[in-house]
Amino acid sequence: MGSMREIKQRINATGKTSQITKAMHMVSASKLKKAERNIVAFRPLTKRLSATLSHVLASDNALSHPMLEARAIHKTVYIVISSDRGLAGPYNASLFKAFDHYVKQHHQSQDEFVVAAIGFKAFNYAKRKQYALLNPSVIQVRDDVQFLDFQSLSDTFIKGYLKGDYDKIVVFYNRFINTMNQKVEHQTLVPMALNPDIETKKEEGITSLYVFEPGAEVVLNDLMPMYVVNVLYGMILEAKASEYAARMTAMKNATDNAKELIRTLKLQYNRARQDAITIELTDIIGGANAVN
Amino acid sequence: MECTVVTPQGMLYQETIDYVIVSSKNNGDFAVLKDHAPLISTIDVGYLKLVQQSNVLYTVIVNGSLEYRDGVLTIIAQEAQVGLNKDSAMEHLEEVRAERLELNRQRNIDFLKAEQELKKSIRESQASKR
Repeated sequence: MGSMREIKQRINATGKTSQITKAMHMVSASKLKKAERNIVAFRPLTKRLSATLSHVLASDNALSHPMLEARAIHKTVYIVISSDRGLAGPYNASLFKAFDHYVKQHHQSQDEFVVAAIGFKAFNYAKRKQYALLNPSVIQVRDDVQFLDFQSLSDTFIKGYLKGDYDKIVVFYNRFINTMNQKVEHQTLVPMALNPDIETKKEEGITSLYVFEPGAEVVLNDLMPMYVVNVLYGMILEAKASEYAARMTAMKNATDNAKELIRTLKLQYNRARQDAITIELTDIIGGANAVN
Repeated sequence: MECTVVTPQGMLYQETIDYVIVSSKNNGDFAVLKDHAPLISTIDVGYLKLVQQSNVLYTVIVNGSLEYRDGVLTIIAQEAQVGLNKDSAMEHLEEVRAERLELNRQRNIDFLKAEQELKKSIRESQASKR
C-alpha cells in the first residue's frame, strides 16, 4: 500500500480521467442520434433509386450490365470502412481481425487484391500490413460524410471494374444492429445481386411503358455506378452509427471502471489514514504511560 | 405535376409545378410537361428549371436520376443546390464542393503533421524504452 499522498494523487487522476470519459460518452450519445437520423433520411433515396433501377431492368429482358454479371475473379477490391479516431472499444480491432482472417482464407498472395481504405485507422492499418492501396491519401470519415469525400475513390474502383482491372468489390464494415450490438460484416458490392422482385419481374418479362432518355442502355450505364455508390454510402452511414455506439459503450465502461477504482482507492486511503491515527495514538498513550 | 427532389440529407424540394426543363451535360436539354409519357433519365452534371406559373426556380444537380410517372416527377440527386438562377446555384454548389475538397486536403496534411510530431516526441522522450 502506497503512502497517503500517493493514493490521494491517484484518486484525483482517476477522477479527472472519468470526467473525460464521461464527457466522451455524452458526446458519442448525441452523435449517435444524429447518425441514426442520417440513416433514416437516406433511406427514401435508396428506395427510390432501386425502384427506378428495377423499372429500367424490367423494361427489357435482354438488358444487362457488367456490374450485374459475375465473372472469373482475378483481382478483388476490399473496401474497409473504419473510423478516424480510436477510443471506440473493439470497433476497429475486430474489423481488422475479421478482414485479416478472411484474406488469409481466400488469398494466397497479396497480388490478388487491393485495399480501399475509408477512414484514417484503416489507411494506417493497410499501410502497416503493406497491402496495395487504392487511394493514395486518407479518406476521412467525418461526422457529416458526403459523396464528394470518397468520390475519387469510387470513381477509381468503378472505372477499374468496368475496364476489367478488378473483378469483385467487397466491403468490410461494422453493421449497426443496436446501441449495444454491432457486427462486422462483409458484403459483395459488385457484381451486384439483384433484388428478388426485380428478378421475377425480369423473368415475367413485363415490358414497361417507360421512355428512356436517351436510351435504356445508356440510362442503365449511368444508373448502375450511381446505385453502387449509393449502396456504399449507406454502408458508410451504418459504420458511422456503429462507431458512435461502440465509443459510447466503451466510454461508459471506462467511466464505470474509474468509479470502481476510485471506490477501492478511497477505501485504501481511509485505511492508511486510520493506520496513521492509530500509530499516533499508541505513541501518545505509550508516552503518557512512560511519564506516569 | 408533383415534383420531388431527394438528396442523401433528405427531401430537398417538394412542390406542384407546371413543367420542368432538364438540362444535363450527358443528355442535353429536354422539357417534361404535364401528362408526359413515363420517362427515366439521368443527369451527371446539370440543372432543372422548375416552372410554377410565374415563379422559376433552378436546382443544380450532380449525379442524379429522374423518373416521371403518373404525374409524379422524382429526381434523386447525390448533391443538389437550389437557386434563383442557374449560374448562381451552380457557382454556389461548386464553391461548396471546392471548399470541402480543400478542407479535406488540409485536414489530411494536419493529420500527417500531427502524426509526425507525435513520432518525433516519442523518439525524443524515449517513451517506448521506459
